[in-house]
Amino acid sequence: MKQDQIAIDVSHVVKNFRIYKDKSHTFKDRILFHKRNAYTLNPVLNDISFQVKKGEAVGLIGHNGCGKSTTLKLLNKILYPDSGIITMHGKISSLIELGAGFHPDMTGRENIYINATIFGLKKHEIDERLDDIIRFSELEEFIDNPVRTYSSGMYMRLAFSIAINVNAEILLIDEILAVGDANFQKKCFNKLEEIKKGGATIVIVSHSMSQIQSICDRAIWLDKGKIVEDGKAADVCGDYTFAMNQAAIAREQMENAQTGKEVVSNPTLTHPPIYEGRQCCRHAERMGSMRLRFHNIRLLDGKMEESQVFSYGDRMNLSFILAAEKDLGEDENYSFKINIFSNDDGNLCSSFDSKEITGAYFKGIRSQCRFTIEHINLAEGDYFISLQMNLKPGNGNDKEGEMTDSIWHFVDFTIKPDSKLSTGVTAMKNQWYISEGNNNE
Amino acid sequence: MIQSLKEIWNYRDMIGSLVRRELRGKYEKSVLGFLWAFLGPLFQILIYSVVFTIVFHNNMPNYTMFLMAGMLPWTFFNDSVSQGTSTIIGNSEMVKKIYFPREVLVIAEVLAKMVNMLLSFIVMAAFLIVTGVGFSIQLAVLPLAILVELIFALGLSLIVSALTVYLRDLEYVINVVMMAWVWGTPVMYSMEGINNEMFKTLLYYNPMTAIITNYQYIFYYHLWPRVTSIVHPLIEGIILLIIGNLIFMKCKKRFAEEM
Repeated sequence: MKQDQIAIDVSHVVKNFRIYKDKSHTFKDRILFHKRNAYTLNPVLNDISFQVKKGEAVGLIGHNGCGKSTTLKLLNKILYPDSGIITMHGKISSLIELGAGFHPDMTGRENIYINATIFGLKKHEIDERLDDIIRFSELEEFIDNPVRTYSSGMYMRLAFSIAINVNAEILLIDEILAVGDANFQKKCFNKLEEIKKGGATIVIVSHSMSQIQSICDRAIWLDKGKIVEDGKAADVCGDYTFAMNQAAIAREQMENAQTGKEVVSNPTLTHPPIYEGRQCCRHAERMGSMRLRFHNIRLLDGKMEESQVFSYGDRMNLSFILAAEKDLGEDENYSFKINIFSNDDGNLCSSFDSKEITGAYFKGIRSQCRFTIEHINLAEGDYFISLQMNLKPGNGNDKEGEMTDSIWHFVDFTIKPDSKLSTGVTAMKNQWYISEGNNNE
Repeated sequence: MIQSLKEIWNYRDMIGSLVRRELRGKYEKSVLGFLWAFLGPLFQILIYSVVFTIVFHNNMPNYTMFLMAGMLPWTFFNDSVSQGTSTIIGNSEMVKKIYFPREVLVIAEVLAKMVNMLLSFIVMAAFLIVTGVGFSIQLAVLPLAILVELIFALGLSLIVSALTVYLRDLEYVINVVMMAWVWGTPVMYSMEGINNEMFKTLLYYNPMTAIITNYQYIFYYHLWPRVTSIVHPLIEGIILLIIGNLIFMKCKKRFAEEM
């Protein structure tokens, strides 16, 4: 990487916070109780190094206390590193905490001047931007009222408008995109896009993976003061979400073990849908108690061979095994539902009558099932199948209406085009009859 | 050091708007406006003037004007230093959230106090005319006298504002010190009446003695201030400013963490 292309260079940065045992701020305490000044060092960042190119948008992610906000404050020179070097090339604006320095008795307009000078703007630069700032904040009517009369939303809008109109080369943002109503948020996102296109470097701290993925090209995942992963935003966010889910399951299991409760876990991770069949789609999501679950799910054609491409009128089979954790009670009543959705808009395309089955059916803990559609009369297009199983309420069982397994979007299938058939939701056999032209009307 | 001076210069508009915020925020909503800046010291001056003339039989001609000439600059110095203790702490929200050269806050605070003094000089001008003391050519060196005091006050404010972040009760210590300091400076009495040699030495080594007497020479005695009483406090002020800046630079890195 060429030197002149680098906007932010963080090299081997270490930062510790002092945790005082009993913090004293007075002469008396400092002189009389010298020991109270003892402190332990809490390492926040431990040898962090990364570089950000000019014009790059980087998201910092990680759970609470991982050091991402500290990193941002270090970049902003609010905090200084204990060791290591941070070099910033370009004018910095921070959207870290908005509205600091507002004077409640002064008008919105006056506060724009004060606040913008705090960001290092010259008076003539503010004069140029004043109209933009006011227009962006949508506070035209109120701009000459004292800010103490503003609602908190108006206050934030004004603060955000100033900070984002500073025309910084490096923009540091900390979890503040929750400003104002939905419209204003959208406007803020558009403005960020515009700033990004203008070549500014952006560093964002957020817990919202969707925000990070929509704005950033790259994400850095921090944990315990170290960089865990640094790469494409989508990849890093995906890995982070997965790890967080697993951590949540582990914590839940531990808590449940402590309280002696039955372990309720995240079935998507403990029983990944991919284990239940080779045709599993990677978008598949699973819910439920797993008391009775689907297993070895296969989509088959009329010759009982695995297939995901069908023609109109074909026979379609969905075969699966019902697997129980343990023997089921004879009076337990289960219902099934197989749903077919069209892929283009995700709307329900087809739902089938549920089939009921009782615990008495199960000899042992596994049972082979098959669901058949004799004539599939769907129009050409892409579809997917979801499966669901519920324990029906009644007969004295206490698990009323419990969902035992639900796999959303388990398998995709395609209906081949056929010129003889109509298109749309359903396919209908059709024929055109056109008489010959007649000059005599 | 040069680079940090350059940066402060770049933030001069922020200093301007902070001074304005300080002055306007303080007086805008009150009926008498900025007069309050002057009314406080004025009543103090009147009370002292009554006590010193009637109780202590002070027979200085136009003693009220003598008091005013010394008391207004003293108020500038006193407010800069005693309120300087809370400059950084009072703006902790800004310090914790936005980057800017922290010195700017102290500079703006001291400058606002100086503007206060300048405004009260306007009111004093009316008193000078009414009492017949009048003006003299010595007003020409007034800016120099102000500059000397400004540098000294700024140096001290930098030190106390930075240290108070770490030692919160420095504020009370400073209040006590300032209370004693005003009596150790010829603000309410003139140097001539002092016979005690030890006290004279103390006054001699107090930089504020020269700084305050400069104003008294200009406004009250209508005499040129001595060169030494400009140069000595100027050198002392510059040394204090350098020390103050060094202390401030060392302290400011952990401001955001300590508050």
